[in-house]
Amino acid sequence: MADGILFEERGIPAAAVITDAFRRTADAMARAQGLEGYPYVAIPHPISSLSPEELRARAEQALPEVVRLLQEEGAR
Amino acid sequence: MSRGLRTEPTREAAREAREAIEYCYEQGWTDGLPVVPPAEEFVEEFLEQVDRDPEEVVFDQPHLGRKCTVRLAAANAVMAGCRPEHFPVVLAMLEAVRDLPVSRGLFQSTTGQAVLVVVNGPVRQVLGFNSTDNVFSPGNRSNATVGRALRLVVMNAFGIRPHAFDQSTQGTPAKYSFCIAENEEESPWEPLHVERGFARQESTVTVAWARGTMPVEQRDSKHPEHILLNIADSMSYGGGYFPSPRGHGSIVVMGPEHAQLIAQAGWSKQQVREFLWEHFGRRAGELRRLAKEGGLDPQLPDEAFVRFAHAPEAITLIVAGARNAGVSTVCPTFVWQTVTRRIPIRRT
Repeated sequence: MADGILFEERGIPAAAVITDAFRRTADAMARAQGLEGYPYVAIPHPISSLSPEELRARAEQALPEVVRLLQEEGAR
Repeated sequence: MSRGLRTEPTREAAREAREAIEYCYEQGWTDGLPVVPPAEEFVEEFLEQVDRDPEEVVFDQPHLGRKCTVRLAAANAVMAGCRPEHFPVVLAMLEAVRDLPVSRGLFQSTTGQAVLVVVNGPVRQVLGFNSTDNVFSPGNRSNATVGRALRLVVMNAFGIRPHAFDQSTQGTPAKYSFCIAENEEESPWEPLHVERGFARQESTVTVAWARGTMPVEQRDSKHPEHILLNIADSMSYGGGYFPSPRGHGSIVVMGPEHAQLIAQAGWSKQQVREFLWEHFGRRAGELRRLAKEGGLDPQLPDEAFVRFAHAPEAITLIVAGARNAGVSTVCPTFVWQTVTRRIPIRRT
């Protein structure tokens, strides 16, 4: 989250991706960075036990949302 | 120690104190236990103990936009229940923690790391730190409050609290307070601070990331190998192992009975560390059975021994506890580096 917000502040479009177990921390970080409500993509938890193929499938599922966030930020 | 409580407080004073404690709860300043209300005059008493600018930043968390100044450190030491004389120890501890690897991140880790604090030198007697029986237990003000001051700084100065920035999956009770003193008097070897180049008459604080305490029993043998193999086996438990090259280490808090038996057999501290390092690890086949073979060469035979640490220096060896049983403790960590700092004691 912090990385995404720091990129945006420098004019570089970013899309933060988290797993849904980290929503509370993500929201707290957005508040700490002064950007409450900064949007992110939340994919299902867990991921560290997935096979490479399963992980690729998660990435593909998340892709349209990532693209949408990148375009939204870019339009700002 | 300076002022003690001279008279029994009146009921009215006790009532007011309780209200002030409740106020601190409402502000979200506590670790769950009551804190001493950090009135400005108390904070000033602490600041008088050190020759430092109160606004100087001691330790920061830039990614959170938070800083701990000398004044904030003093306020949290007051709340933790320290006495003013403890403040130089608290300050040295915070600066040592700042200099640990990943000190701007690991406080938020799902791994729930605590920080073990070890006090050496004459300050142990001057301020009454416990280094003997119950060294990890409740019951001693210096150990309890100095260790607690770190947690309150993390929670209050940095805002790293549960359900927000502290993401510990489970954490550990060691996060309340995790401060011990080395039993230099009953250790057969040079104390930790002397090993690290300080004079015996200097006082120091050493800090290390640690996930908690694991007790080690061996009361039935006086042979160094038997004692040390039990310690090494406890250091090497499968659940503690991360299959990654991140630099596992271990903090061994050896009970004086174990240390003396080993030293009587002629072993130096360095020999102990080397033996532990050689046996700190698991066979490749066991790691495969636990599905922790990440990073292992697939050609490595199952019987091959995989060492978890890169060198004997990854093992920190301390002697603490009572000389009353063959008990030691292992504190697992995956950050082998530790930091020792001198505690500046002002001559008055």
